[in-house]
Amino acid sequence: MKTQSTFEQDYILEVNHLTVQFHGDHGILTALNDVSFKIRRGETVGLVGESGSGKSVSALSMMRLLPQNKAKVLEGEIIFHSPTLGKVNLLRLNNQQIRNLRGGEMAMIFQDPMTSLNPVFTCGEQVVETILKHQKNISYQQAKQKTLELFEKVRLPRIESIFKNYPHEISGGQKQRIMIAMALACHPALLIADEPTTALDVTVQHSILELLQELREDKNISVLFITHDLSVISEIADSVLVMYKGEVVEDGNIWDTFANPKHPYTKGLLACRPRVDMKLKVLPVINDFMITDDEGKIKSDETRFKSVGQAIMMNYQSPKELKERHDFLLKQTKILEVKNLKIHFPQDRNFFGKVKSYVKPIENLSFDVYKGETLGLVGESGCGKTTLSRVILGLLAPNEGEILFEGENILTISPKKMQELRRDIQIIFQDPYSSLNPKMTVGETIMEPMQIHNIGENNKERKEKVVELLETVGLNGAYLNRYPHEFSGGQMQRISIARTLSLTPKFIICDESVSALDVSVQAQVLNLLNRLKEKYNLTYIFISHDLSVIKFISDRIMVMNAGKIEEIGFGEDIYHQPKQEYTRQLIESIPKGSLENIRKAMLKRKMGKVVK
Amino acid sequence: MFKFILRRLIYGFFVILGVIIVVFLLFHALPGDPVSMMTGQRSDVMSRKVISEELGLEEPLPMQLLLYLNDISVLSVHDDTAENFQKYDYTRLFHVNQNIVVIKRPYLRRSFETKKRVDEIIMENANGTFWLAGAAMLFATFFGVLFGLISALYKGSFFDNALVIISVIGISAPSFVAAILISMLFGYYLHDFTGLPMQGALWDNDPFEGRQLHLKNLILPAFTLGIRPLSTIMQMTRNAMLDVLSQDYIRTAKAKGLGKIQINLKHALRNALNPVITSVSAWLASMMAGTFFIEYIFTWKGLGSVTILAVENKNLPVIMGVTLFVALTFVLVNIIVDILYSIIDPRVRL
Repeated sequence: MKTQSTFEQDYILEVNHLTVQFHGDHGILTALNDVSFKIRRGETVGLVGESGSGKSVSALSMMRLLPQNKAKVLEGEIIFHSPTLGKVNLLRLNNQQIRNLRGGEMAMIFQDPMTSLNPVFTCGEQVVETILKHQKNISYQQAKQKTLELFEKVRLPRIESIFKNYPHEISGGQKQRIMIAMALACHPALLIADEPTTALDVTVQHSILELLQELREDKNISVLFITHDLSVISEIADSVLVMYKGEVVEDGNIWDTFANPKHPYTKGLLACRPRVDMKLKVLPVINDFMITDDEGKIKSDETRFKSVGQAIMMNYQSPKELKERHDFLLKQTKILEVKNLKIHFPQDRNFFGKVKSYVKPIENLSFDVYKGETLGLVGESGCGKTTLSRVILGLLAPNEGEILFEGENILTISPKKMQELRRDIQIIFQDPYSSLNPKMTVGETIMEPMQIHNIGENNKERKEKVVELLETVGLNGAYLNRYPHEFSGGQMQRISIARTLSLTPKFIICDESVSALDVSVQAQVLNLLNRLKEKYNLTYIFISHDLSVIKFISDRIMVMNAGKIEEIGFGEDIYHQPKQEYTRQLIESIPKGSLENIRKAMLKRKMGKVVK
Repeated sequence: MFKFILRRLIYGFFVILGVIIVVFLLFHALPGDPVSMMTGQRSDVMSRKVISEELGLEEPLPMQLLLYLNDISVLSVHDDTAENFQKYDYTRLFHVNQNIVVIKRPYLRRSFETKKRVDEIIMENANGTFWLAGAAMLFATFFGVLFGLISALYKGSFFDNALVIISVIGISAPSFVAAILISMLFGYYLHDFTGLPMQGALWDNDPFEGRQLHLKNLILPAFTLGIRPLSTIMQMTRNAMLDVLSQDYIRTAKAKGLGKIQINLKHALRNALNPVITSVSAWLASMMAGTFFIEYIFTWKGLGSVTILAVENKNLPVIMGVTLFVALTFVLVNIIVDILYSIIDPRVRL
């Protein structure tokens, strides 16, 4: 009896045979199907899967935050070993009991810190509120003192003033630190982090991951870390759960999963993430590892690749091939020249509307883009990359400077010529959900630019072109009459790409075009972009905050920081010999997911435990 | 904040100036001769001349506008005569040549009919309208927000559906129909239970006891006037709450373990209030002049009835005066609303 209880005490959370269904307008959807897993005390478990795989549903069902009228738990139990209540089934607790656990013994950090804090209360107050709720006999002053200590612990700067700041007054990374402080406020036994770094810059992600790591060692908290990107958790998780279509397909410790993945889906996930250490010709995608039918069931074993290593070896671009590519590019003519570009926005005005000070998103920028190349533009949010893309598109007039497209200054040409030029210069936006008009069918969306620019004789001809374009981007031509909401994120991005291509542009700016997508979908879209580039002889400027994506897709990379160019050069050179400290930091912050790093991280954790 | 208020007051000043000019030009574009309207039956040459001089009709149009502005302005320049002193009732400040600079109440000229100062007419009647509009909006805001909140929290329930349907009826019922029905029902048929009168003003001149306040008379007109704003406010609150309740920070509040009351009232309602304030302010300002039917049916003494009467009689000074007064109320209410926005939502920077 006694042995069993100690055995049980090893675990903080046990999920047994959990099945959850959603009853929506379109019928019943099984979000979780017989999911079982366990989390040990002090352990960090990574829960990985793409959107719709059920990872967030699992987390929300633990917190009992699923929409009550829609979600139904059919069977299963979630056993939580509560420090105060003992062993309880979370699904059977009454509202009062679960409220006491939430934010107290079980805390949660959400994906988007921008929207997860209430905009009308100060940051400090929101944390104080949690403390006052869960700790009895504590005065407001004591709670405030505790909050300031927490702020110190999550390494926020200027803690006194941030306490009084409203969420919109601080940066995204700082907001996420507030969320973490809030989650830690009442010493939780279990911390659920739902994609806590997905919305953040790489360097910020890196520091947040380090912080979580430290806090976990410091306080011996169990963490359930949810992400769509395996490499993010490689250095902080002890074990990994991979979810696919509502089922757990892989459950093992971190080393085994990375070194020897069993399920084809895991293999695909591991392989499809762009790598910084070598250049691949084509990114492997999930479908190279498993062939599925419409419902996502595995159909056959006849797959292209059997292992991650094989997938990489067959796509590896040799140094000789790279050299040839570089030499080829150096011979090309310039398609775009940007000279001494400066942009200033008025920031503060005096009483009579005269400008007192400026924000300067772009300061004295000069660079060239050669025909047929992909120039990767990388930098953290606020570095001026999106502003730059707007200027090149002619959507924003710069204060100074010249932009020459094929030798013509686009800032001074006549509006009529500019209209023609817009055909040649196009953009693919970040968020496919909001860049397609929900009231227009796919066909209308793709056809509209052609109608404006008088491409094609009549609508019938244009429609044929639309079908052709849809097939080019890998969609069924029959999707013509459907509306955007019927598609997934990846498909919508393909539709945006088809719309862009409808004008047969020469030059495309991809503004964070894959950032909103899952890693597995991202790989497909990146491959598509590369294929289209070959087919139509396109030139890209590819903007991203993700250095590994940039490394895969670009020939040359331009690193921007605070409106200036830090460094520009071929991807290999930048990666292997970064000249600037800033570039080095960026590269170091990328989660790599290599076995070497995992081993180091595991060793470090073990050492830490022994010392204690 | 202070800078903002100052700037808005200056903007407001120009808005009012614009309104004055437009109203003044309208006054001249309208058919009819003000002099014959004022003189009525007596139309001897002498009295016509006097009136025409008093209105400055002999002068060219720009000069007339200047005279009108001078009349309205609190600080103004006049000939120092006993006549003028009686007309404007000013306090002398200092002399400039033959003229004096004076400080006075805005002189909006006199009613064609009663020869009473227009500013006095407005002040007398605005009192009643303020009470009526204030009470109606207080009632509408309180219950509108309350019902909207309940409706949003129990979305899809019987109660929610009923409230939405009732509010649609409330919005679509014309105020004169509602006024008659309510006055009849509560003031006549149910009089024994409610004890409320069908008609009556707020202030009453009793021959024996003098001026008396009748708060009882306020209830039915305020209720009638409040129905439409109540319905819109309810729907506004409901939609805003539903939007806010689906936000991420509400999920955060739940994940903190907060109770229902704290989540809904503290975290959600405050975020939902901005559109509600917009609608409250728009209603409040438009009620200043738009309560005619209610005032008429309940024989309430207020600005609405004064305006309609003036329009009927082409009593131009009164129309112009009321228009300016309403414009001024709009400007002030808008400034107050902007300040309220910034108090409720820290993201709004003044």
